[in-house]
Amino acid sequence: MQFELIHVDKIYQVSEENKVFGAKDVNLKIGTGDFMALVGPSGSGKTTILNLIAGLILPTNGSLKHGGSDITALSLEERTKHRLDFMGFIFQDYQLLPILTAYENIEFPLQLKGFSKKEIDERVHWALSQVGLEKMGNRFPKQLSGGQQQRVSIARAIAGRPELVLADEPTANLDSKTAQEIIELFKKLNQEFKLTFIFSTHDQRLIDQVNTVMYVKDGQISETRNHHA
Amino acid sequence: MKGFKFLLKFSYRNLLRAPKRTLILILSLSIGTGFIIWDLNFANSGSKEVMKEFLNQYAGEYHITHKDYYREDNKKEFNNFKIISDSEIPDKSLLTFTTRRVTAPVFVSGEKKTLGVLLTGLETEKEIKLSTLSKAVTVGRFLNPNSDKEIVLGKKLAHRIEVKLGDEVAVIGQALDGSVANELMTVVGLIDFGGGDLEESLAFTQIKSAQELLVMGPDQYHQRVDFNMKDETLPQIKGLAVTIWTDLLPEIGVSVRFVDNFTWLVSIVIVLVISLGLSNSLMITFLEREQEFQTLNIIGAKTIWVTVSLLIEVFLLGTIAILLGLLLGQISTNYFYHYPFNIQFFTGGKPIIMGGMIIQPLVRIYPVLEYYWKVPVMIYIFLTMTMIYPLIRVIRRSKNAI
Repeated sequence: MQFELIHVDKIYQVSEENKVFGAKDVNLKIGTGDFMALVGPSGSGKTTILNLIAGLILPTNGSLKHGGSDITALSLEERTKHRLDFMGFIFQDYQLLPILTAYENIEFPLQLKGFSKKEIDERVHWALSQVGLEKMGNRFPKQLSGGQQQRVSIARAIAGRPELVLADEPTANLDSKTAQEIIELFKKLNQEFKLTFIFSTHDQRLIDQVNTVMYVKDGQISETRNHHA
Repeated sequence: MKGFKFLLKFSYRNLLRAPKRTLILILSLSIGTGFIIWDLNFANSGSKEVMKEFLNQYAGEYHITHKDYYREDNKKEFNNFKIISDSEIPDKSLLTFTTRRVTAPVFVSGEKKTLGVLLTGLETEKEIKLSTLSKAVTVGRFLNPNSDKEIVLGKKLAHRIEVKLGDEVAVIGQALDGSVANELMTVVGLIDFGGGDLEESLAFTQIKSAQELLVMGPDQYHQRVDFNMKDETLPQIKGLAVTIWTDLLPEIGVSVRFVDNFTWLVSIVIVLVISLGLSNSLMITFLEREQEFQTLNIIGAKTIWVTVSLLIEVFLLGTIAILLGLLLGQISTNYFYHYPFNIQFFTGGKPIIMGGMIIQPLVRIYPVLEYYWKVPVMIYIFLTMTMIYPLIRVIRRSKNAI
């Protein structure tokens, strides 16, 4: 199902006179299997757009839709459930729970979804095998390298087979070689399983690999380029 | 609840995340719990032992009397003729731990002086078994069960009417039939409660002598006094009054209740202080994990899930601490059960004077079952209250975006 942002504004009221546009008249469609990136300098509004897509913040104007349904009409708790059911998240600093092993970190959203033990086990092993960490499931995050932690984070995001994976600067904290491996992994997951990805990034290697690049400036998508299509 | 096992594991692991901090929290709560249990047991046992000592000396646990005997307007009469007999008590088991007494206001007259006192006729043999009154006789001896017309006077009374052991005193009162009653009795002992004024107004004789003096039948008396401390349920006897000591001695009953309530108050304050400290620690712990809570929210954990996980965490901590505290409280209580201590340890070596009598009990602390559930319930309530503010802050701040 398609995710859509239609004429979305996000205005932050700094003071009575001073308004800042986090997002301005953003129009965006994300279809199944898309592999796209929001590109722009820091503060340009990339992350705001990701937050809007995720329903973590609501637009001041315009609408957010998923499969034609209006996300803005959902309550806070309903939007949380919506994220759980349809989205996966990858963070710049991995955001793994330090008290849980790699296996348990991946298991976490599956537990929230209420999957059976058997199904959880199958999905976690599938996700671990996709990110190449089959034998590291019982390790805690602090026992893993940065690259391995990001792989666990990716496994957590994809284990529930979400309709959309949102990744905020996923290669920013990684060394060049590891970043390249992670980009390859994203590409493989997109091509093999038609997983939909939207990145917020300014990593040129990642930008070079995506199908659609949207340049963001002052909260607006100033330009959209399609390649590798 | 689906996924509860995972939730439990999650909360348990969070407890182990900062083991030293968790240990300090558990120790502070368990020591507090242990102290409260010990303190309540001590207050309860202490006041019960003190009361037992006091009541055993003379007053008794409860009195069976004519229903009008203790009525306020009867106290104004010179003599209270409200008598009873054993035929009015259908449950004969009530007679086992009770002794009969005859009481009357009389004048006791020596060769030179006369004073008005309360004369009590005692069933000497039973009195020796049930009360410790006989042990308060410091000069001479207690009443001989096989003799009559003997009198034991309060030490100060004897001094004031200037009589000594072996002297005869005239006892003058009003008989049951309204006539003047008088009898000569021999002073065989002087009683000393150590307290003061009480010894100025008491005199004791054999029940038979008192009955003869007051022209009462041998089966007639005023009070049956019970000394069975274990019997806390007041019996009901049709047509008669059964009065418990707290009503007979209201000022002492009030002071015992005060000690009990005050100990609870102290316990609540202790828990409150610990709770405030705990609340602060929880706040710090939760705020340190703020980013994690945000992540949980982003990846799909609802507020209720986060709240329940934190509640489980705190209740796990609380339960471990309470169990440990109950154990500590029980061990310390048990120690003082086997090694009772003198109450004077807490009174600077001075005796306790209650109702005009010196009492010096050895306090044996024994566990009171109800504290072992009431205290945990109180702590759980405070723990829940402790959680409210940190939880609200965490939940508010976990709603942030990426």
